[in-house]
Amino acid sequence: MLSDVLDLLTNPLLLSILINMAIFLIVTLSLNLETGFAGIPQFGRVLAVLAGAIAAGAIAGRIMAAMFGMPWGVEYVGDQNLQIVEKLNSIFSQNPGLSIAMLIMSLIIAAAFGGFIGYIVSYPAIRLKEAYLGITLLAFGDALQIIGKYYDPLAGGTAGIVVPDLFRFVGTGKIKYLGSTMIILGIAILVLIYVQSLAKSPFGRALKAMRDNELAAKVYGKDIVKLRAQALIIGGALAAIGGALWATYTGSFKALTYNRLTWTFWPWAFMMLGGTGNNYGIVLGTLIFSIFRSLIYAYKSELTNYIPINPNWLEYMLIGSIIVLIALFRPQGILPERPELPLSRKRIEEIKDKVVGYKAEKGSE
Amino acid sequence: MLMVSSSFIQVIMTAIGYSGGIALAAAGITLIYMTTGTFNFAHASMTAWGFYIIFSLYKVFFGGNPYYYFPVAFLFSGILGVITYVVVNKWLLKKGADMVTLMMSTLGIDLIFFAFINVFADYLTSEYKVNSRLIVLTTHDMVLGEVAGFKLKAITIVSVLIVVAIALFFYFTLTRTKFGIAFRVTVENPDLASILGINTEVIYLVSWFVGGALAGLGGAVLSLVISGNPYTGNVVIVPEFAASIVGGLYSIYGSFLGGYLIGLSEYILINLIASIFGRQLVVYEPLIPLLAMAATLLVYPQGLAGINWEKVFSKLKRR
Repeated sequence: MLSDVLDLLTNPLLLSILINMAIFLIVTLSLNLETGFAGIPQFGRVLAVLAGAIAAGAIAGRIMAAMFGMPWGVEYVGDQNLQIVEKLNSIFSQNPGLSIAMLIMSLIIAAAFGGFIGYIVSYPAIRLKEAYLGITLLAFGDALQIIGKYYDPLAGGTAGIVVPDLFRFVGTGKIKYLGSTMIILGIAILVLIYVQSLAKSPFGRALKAMRDNELAAKVYGKDIVKLRAQALIIGGALAAIGGALWATYTGSFKALTYNRLTWTFWPWAFMMLGGTGNNYGIVLGTLIFSIFRSLIYAYKSELTNYIPINPNWLEYMLIGSIIVLIALFRPQGILPERPELPLSRKRIEEIKDKVVGYKAEKGSE
Repeated sequence: MLMVSSSFIQVIMTAIGYSGGIALAAAGITLIYMTTGTFNFAHASMTAWGFYIIFSLYKVFFGGNPYYYFPVAFLFSGILGVITYVVVNKWLLKKGADMVTLMMSTLGIDLIFFAFINVFADYLTSEYKVNSRLIVLTTHDMVLGEVAGFKLKAITIVSVLIVVAIALFFYFTLTRTKFGIAFRVTVENPDLASILGINTEVIYLVSWFVGGALAGLGGAVLSLVISGNPYTGNVVIVPEFAASIVGGLYSIYGSFLGGYLIGLSEYILINLIASIFGRQLVVYEPLIPLLAMAATLLVYPQGLAGINWEKVFSKLKRR
């Protein structure tokens, strides 16, 4: 009975949907914060995601190696990479507490690195506008990928590196995949709660004010430079956490796989489908696309019997068509943006009634 | 340190051909942006289609000379531009969509065109048993002459001739014809243009056709300079954007200038750097257009055309 449930839960298709959903939810929410709320055309989302993956794979991994007295210099990303990481993995599998601590450390380093990247990017983001800014951000993302691809001492270059498996404390085999997927999904939900609370906060409203009318926001004393930098730092940190989790989950890092199509344009498509500026829309958009992509991937060989083309290209056509159709017919997305109330509607009505009542009382005196 | 050897001259010759391709495509990006305000991501696939038209017609179907098929590449990508306008861009412009929506819609188009390139490449492989995922046509170019150890390839000359011809064509069309004047009015103020009876939709349609066609022509030129695969468009779109932005996004001649600036610096700088610091740095070549673009924008946020040249000259005169 229990094993049946486990089989059902560890169905590869379900796990693939869930893990894609969780990782892309984090990345797309971070994109929504910068683009949907702050109005920054973030065409370089891959930059922070890649930075997070490098942080988890190369920086946190080296720190762990150094902690346990193993070589952490160029050797770590070179020939000895596999042996070192295997030794680390055996240490972590015996010590769950340590493994969790390392996972948290790895995510903190990634977030710090991503935040730092966001801070650097805020320099052009203050000076440039619209297309100029979007293309500059895109260029930054490509630049880091090129460096990651060819500068071997950073993270193994084209060969890539193996990333310490920090999810081994969950168990082995199927249970590990289920457990790690659940943990990542949990983190994604925490990120959702966080960005939603940001959306309801004065900070979120200030970002939207800046997006809608920069001059008016300035007149009301909002510091545009600071707001834009804050949005980019928070967004960069969140996206980096997404990248770090992906590298840790897959257990390997290759700069080549962090391309602008997967980590910039797909999150854009998810955001546009769900609803730019609406966090719940992002959840919906990411869910729809994750199901869709995982299904195409899972039934690739069956699909080849029915269509004359390679299903890979079908995926591009469908995603491309969806982007075009949304742009044409529903630019606001499935769930359009709506005003975020700081309290529930009912609570606001109650307070209003109280204030009105109080005023009426005062007036009658 | 600078070695003016025959190999360095060879590099410059290749760089001129490459820059010509980038400049043509960048002019297409600029043209579409000037009239419709759309930053065209689909230029990636339009360039790659130009590449594949030359490859398939010359290498697979008919043979002969690769230059015969340049007009076909021009027309084909031009038609892709027309499709983009008629199916998507026209309606978004009518709705007054914002810049980001316009940009993203062309990304969607790009993914579709990209998928079709791959389908076409698969078809070529399965039907004609050719390797359509690593295309090397550089060795099939005509060699015009061999001087002092380096080969003068036709594409070096032809690319310059094409760029000059297109630049002259733009110059005469924009300044000497009624259509050119209507075009310029539309760029300046579309509302005023329609009040004066100019059909702005025709202007948009023509600029999408010419813009797409220039991407195809750029791809055709590039096919004889670099090796390619279906992802080539995604690679060369970066220097194309860079050239267009460095050129200021509002000047076709600026984008030609930007194309040569970006293309030549890409080849020449990396060879200089490599000869000083070692060959292993050659792989960082794609970083150069990115850095050139970022540097230009940080100094001149509106690109080179955003500089008020009259002011600069008058300041210089005063001194």
